[in-house]
Amino acid sequence: MQNSKKILLLAACIWSYCAYAQQGGFTSQPVKRGDYSFVVYVSGGLGHYPAYSKDLAYLDPKIQNVNPVSTIRIMWHPDHLVKVGLETGYLTFLNYTLTDSAGQRGKVLLNATPLLVEWTMALTKRFNVFAGSGVYFLTTNLDYKGKTRSKKISVGWMAAASYIQPVTKNMGIGAELKWLDAAESRDGTICLQLQWVWRFLKW
Amino acid sequence: MKISITILFVCLIIFSCKRNFEAPVPDTHWNLFESAEKLPSMARPGVEGIYNFKVGSDVFGAAAAAKWSYSANGNDTIYHLSLFCEKEVSYFILEGKKSGDSILLNGYWRKMVNTETGIARFTIAAVNGARNLLNGIPMGAADSLVLDGKYGNGPAMPDQPLRLKYNRPLYKAKPLQIVAHRGGGSTADLLPASENSVAMINLATRFGATGIEIDVRSTSDKVFVLFHDATLNERLIRKNGLLGPIENYSYDQLYTLVRLKQGERIPTLKEALHTVVYNTALEYVWLDTKFTGPIDELVKIQRQYMQEAAAIGRKLEITIGIPDQQVLKNFLALPDHNNIPSVCELTPDDVVAANSRIWAPRWTLGLQNEQVQQVHAQGRRAFVWTLDVPENVFEYMNQGDFDGILSNYPSIVAYYYYAKQ
Repeated sequence: MQNSKKILLLAACIWSYCAYAQQGGFTSQPVKRGDYSFVVYVSGGLGHYPAYSKDLAYLDPKIQNVNPVSTIRIMWHPDHLVKVGLETGYLTFLNYTLTDSAGQRGKVLLNATPLLVEWTMALTKRFNVFAGSGVYFLTTNLDYKGKTRSKKISVGWMAAASYIQPVTKNMGIGAELKWLDAAESRDGTICLQLQWVWRFLKW
Repeated sequence: MKISITILFVCLIIFSCKRNFEAPVPDTHWNLFESAEKLPSMARPGVEGIYNFKVGSDVFGAAAAAKWSYSANGNDTIYHLSLFCEKEVSYFILEGKKSGDSILLNGYWRKMVNTETGIARFTIAAVNGARNLLNGIPMGAADSLVLDGKYGNGPAMPDQPLRLKYNRPLYKAKPLQIVAHRGGGSTADLLPASENSVAMINLATRFGATGIEIDVRSTSDKVFVLFHDATLNERLIRKNGLLGPIENYSYDQLYTLVRLKQGERIPTLKEALHTVVYNTALEYVWLDTKFTGPIDELVKIQRQYMQEAAAIGRKLEITIGIPDQQVLKNFLALPDHNNIPSVCELTPDDVVAANSRIWAPRWTLGLQNEQVQQVHAQGRRAFVWTLDVPENVFEYMNQGDFDGILSNYPSIVAYYYYAKQ
């Protein structure tokens, strides 16, 4: 039920972006085609995982709430307000160590590689919003009484807002605030990333 | 447009908030009950029977089936009187004590179709049958026994009146195995214990079960544990960062790092069967084989606990579940498979090949009375799974010929069974 609500929320986001896109100078009459381009966004920063300390209390863990998050996104920028693209990357949702009653130490890492279809539009000249959905390839890396690596695929979504400052005609730098959420395992992290943007192809 | 979108967003965010459903067992402390004496064993059998609600039928239905169960812990045995009701799959779980020449019953009630629960207290006055019960005088006549009581909602003190009058004895003419799914019930149903846990197995008879089905998986170091789903997930365990197939983890890792929803550890099969043998009155265990490797070690454990049960005079049957062709193949590879008690979910021909004691088709295949009679003619039994909708339970109980019903709601199966005439 909760997942369906998130999907509903995401659908509303998309719908609202589309609604924005229809405003202003929209017309169904054929007009001269504008520029098309591919733009790559390379981002790196830190993510904060709202740790479930109550759930994990029985382990008395030491939780590292802030972990690195790196993502890369390629967007197709047509001559329309709404753009579409793909995003992937690597992030850590949960990272903690524990010591059991016998003094044995352990470490748990829950990492994810998202693969998301995204839409974006510029709300102002330099301020953009993003939303997307897709899958998260989750991997648990456990080091406690032996090493275990276990994988699971989860549906998920993201939402982000970024500010881009142009540096050259085809390049810019910026910052992005992003929420990445793997719905099935209810793991989410809020990230603040520095961003390098490059329009590498234009026609 | 912007205003409408903003309003839409705010509404979505508000209604997207997760709602936590809970049905906690209320605190049943009752000073009068605490100071009362232990109920003599001779008083218990006479309380069992079908009762009519004279007050409270609008909430719990027309009748209730009262049945005792016990859980043993060494020399300490606790008896519970369960009242199984039809309306909204409700039940009462009560303990009994003697106070003077009256009998007190104290506990809680729950409805399985929602989260409604509360405290329930009854008194059987001396003139309403308690004197006879306490003196071991057999009851029998209708209206000879009256339970007067009150129930409350949630943690509130009981203030709503209840009155039940004895009507007739429990039906027991044709035996029926009431098999509780997942050790007693599903975690999703907000029971006091997690599914497939030792605590749940201890509760199963209170919910009306005479047998249980438990899900057997194997860890990476070949320890059999109970877990229903193919992967660790938040439906069954507390969030801890561990995901993926349970077979990826060793038993030590699961023992230390994983807790079921109600805080229990994932039990080993041996712990579960030890509980069945030494702490419960359960008569039947269905080992649902959810791994695909060799099952000879599973058979050894099955034999060990059937022998232990027999050694202490317990009537207990443990069957190896054969849910698919791969498990059937592994089962048939056992040299003495003809003598291993099993329950086969496949075709009647597969049942014959495995010489299974029990054929267990899914309920969606229908009543299958002809096939069930053929199975009976071969000296086997037939159980149906998994019946949860009360109307379906009633239909299969009264129009079918099955010897056992697997359900997540054993209390409604118990009600329809014991209320038969």
